[in-house]
Amino acid sequence: MFLRIVADSFGRRPRHKLLTGAALALGMGVVTAVLSVSLDVGDRLAKEFRSLGANLVVTPQADSLPLEIGGVDFRPVNAGAYLPEADLPKLKTIFWHNNIVGFAPILEDRATVFVNPPSANLNSLRSYDILHPAEPPTVSTVGTWAQHKFSLSDGSSFATGIDKINPWWQVQGRWFSEGLRECLVGQALARRMGFHIGDHIYLGGSGPRVVLQSSLPQFLVTGLLSTGGAEDDAIILPLDVAQHLSERPGQYRKLYVSALTKPEDAFAKRDPKSFTPTEYDRWFCTPYISSIAFQIQQELPGTDVRVIRKVAEGEGQILTRVRMLLWLVTGAALLAAVLAVGASSAASVIERRTEIGLMKALGAGSGTVGFLLAAEQLLLAFVGGGVGYSLGIVLARLLGQKIFGAAPEPSLIVFLVVIALAAGVTVLGSALPLRRASQYEPAPILRGE
Amino acid sequence: MTSSRATNKVMFWRIIRRLLGANRGRLFVMLLALGAGAAVTAALLNLQVDAKRRLTTEFRAFGPNVLILPKGSSFSGTGTLPESTILSVPRNVGNAHVATASSLFVIATVSSAQSGRSLSAVVVGASPRLVGWISSQSALSLPKGRPMIPAEPICMVGGRIGKQVHAEQGSRLNLTSGDQKETCLAAGLAETGGPEDDRIEIDLRAAQRLADLPGRISTIELIVPGTPGEIQNYIADLQRLLPDVDVRPVRQFTEGEAKIYNRISGLLTATVAIVLLLTGLCVMAAMTNVAMERKMDVGLMKAIGGSMRRVLRLFLAEAALLGLAGGIIGGAAGIFLSIGLGKAVFGVAARPRLIVYPVAVALTVFVAILSAFPLRRLASIRPASVFRGEA
Repeated sequence: MFLRIVADSFGRRPRHKLLTGAALALGMGVVTAVLSVSLDVGDRLAKEFRSLGANLVVTPQADSLPLEIGGVDFRPVNAGAYLPEADLPKLKTIFWHNNIVGFAPILEDRATVFVNPPSANLNSLRSYDILHPAEPPTVSTVGTWAQHKFSLSDGSSFATGIDKINPWWQVQGRWFSEGLRECLVGQALARRMGFHIGDHIYLGGSGPRVVLQSSLPQFLVTGLLSTGGAEDDAIILPLDVAQHLSERPGQYRKLYVSALTKPEDAFAKRDPKSFTPTEYDRWFCTPYISSIAFQIQQELPGTDVRVIRKVAEGEGQILTRVRMLLWLVTGAALLAAVLAVGASSAASVIERRTEIGLMKALGAGSGTVGFLLAAEQLLLAFVGGGVGYSLGIVLARLLGQKIFGAAPEPSLIVFLVVIALAAGVTVLGSALPLRRASQYEPAPILRGE
Repeated sequence: MTSSRATNKVMFWRIIRRLLGANRGRLFVMLLALGAGAAVTAALLNLQVDAKRRLTTEFRAFGPNVLILPKGSSFSGTGTLPESTILSVPRNVGNAHVATASSLFVIATVSSAQSGRSLSAVVVGASPRLVGWISSQSALSLPKGRPMIPAEPICMVGGRIGKQVHAEQGSRLNLTSGDQKETCLAAGLAETGGPEDDRIEIDLRAAQRLADLPGRISTIELIVPGTPGEIQNYIADLQRLLPDVDVRPVRQFTEGEAKIYNRISGLLTATVAIVLLLTGLCVMAAMTNVAMERKMDVGLMKAIGGSMRRVLRLFLAEAALLGLAGGIIGGAAGIFLSIGLGKAVFGVAARPRLIVYPVAVALTVFVAILSAFPLRRLASIRPASVFRGEA
């Protein structure tokens, strides 16, 4: 009988049920979308912040003090210490290796640059060489990785390089290929010296060595680089070629690391030496920038790993705030959805006063009536919640695609939360009018008063 | 004719009063729904306007985002600008203040009187210090036990250089370049991970004396607030205003910020739109409820000769009134709510924007009238069947 009444109620007024169900599905769809996007947004934003560049810098411990002004190091070439390139793949073996988005070693030097081989005949010389015949111009060179691939111990390969950690570097043309004598020329330098893509230039080391002019290596200009910084006036070379040019085989001087981190809280700002063993484990197993720096230092002996505070702290601060703001907005959206669904389910119960009156007149207790209506509402909630969930997933995909260019993954937790919320809200929403209905006297209702 | 119209008007308002007063509980629920909607709308709108503005302020934590350099300078630090250039830099973007600082770079020999160590280092003469992210560090701490205005100039010593010359807070440092000499007391000594770690920062005048370049500076750093578009415009204007220098954005931050700002503001707009939609839904549900209850009233009105247009007008007026009341109460509540929320998120209370209030009220009235749409179903009511208790 119970089932029959429930089935009858759905069959007799399909339009009403459809309306309530639609409101429910719509509300729950929005809840699903907002929840999925919010759950996903922290990681996505953290990734976005990596477009600000590296947040860790690794330098040799024994290094002398760089005399750097505007990105140019005025140290004598032989000063300072270097680090072995062969150690670098170890970076992907640290505990938080998945959080290391990219890294790029840097070897800076100065070189003399010729547009034409010094032995070429005078007619083909470019204007620069004619104007400054006596001293070939000295320029900064930067040896680094671009789209550098190496294989990891688990068999997969990892591509990294300066193009990955400094996404604001714009290359007109293409990046150089490693191992080849190719280079990028900074935009300002290229304009000043009249270099174009496809030109060949000749680089000589700047050291006190005597170089036979005819043996100067020839480089193909594959692209022009615009960075808005000191690199606009430099020549960017593959690291291995730069090492050869500076006679520093297998060495680099500075390493930039870009890592996904958790914003530092009060706990992370404490000195790791003062931790108890449990606190130490917690610190080590959280991707704080300080613990990642510590792990890198353990892997690369003889280095000094410093946090670039400007980037790391700005990022942490903004990320914390945005996350909080989003949770507040999500809370508001949930509240609004709950109100909407609650109100519509209340409306659907009020509509059925006559029916309730009739049931009571026939001898049903308030409990039975309440139970019956609650069962109906729950059924509606499950169906509406389910439909709403699938609707919300589509909406979340659209939103995620539009805002971040990547859709959030559907998650089981969101599904459970949505179904539970739908059930809770419909029951609560109908509870109020039901309580009032239980106080109805059947007679006046049936009379239509 | 006029008197009958006046009577009509009186009657209209009388019915409205009765409609509103008939069911106190229902009136309360409707006002609650509309008020809550208006509150959420107002709070989110206010917060959204404020949050975007705050975000651009937060981005300033990354430090200078625009540099002014000597024309054609190859970043080698050799070219200089006249100090007076800074006077022609516009100080405002909209209502926000542009922070500026000029600096001069000198390579000098640094020696510590206590440890006897000496080395070459970059000395930066800065005026004034740009208070950005660094203010959160201990970098501005003065040597302990010294008077607030010390007799000797203070210099900020980078963390790494401090270690290498064995300087401590308050040790005396000698800076020499050529035959010029300056002394100062070390302060700061914090590690920042940036080039500051390897530099010593002194007063601009002292650096000019040290370099023997009076009235010259190497670069001007600007912290320009505002949205990415505003910053772009500012840079273009500045370049036009100062054709003799190079104005460059610090692309690392300007581009990264633009990307992040767009994402976050898109996210905020999307969520606000969704909440507004939900609020509309909520009010619509409440209005459907009303329509159901009003069958008898409508049947009666029609039975005694009320035209459908007049009946509908009655209900629309009721909805608009409810919307107005709910909007006024809820909007005010929402603005107070957003002040609290702003405080929770950004640590600074959101400034209430008066424009948000009328917008929230208007939106609520609009939603209320729109959601009176279900009342259209009343048009098909036939009085006789209502009175028979059918339908």
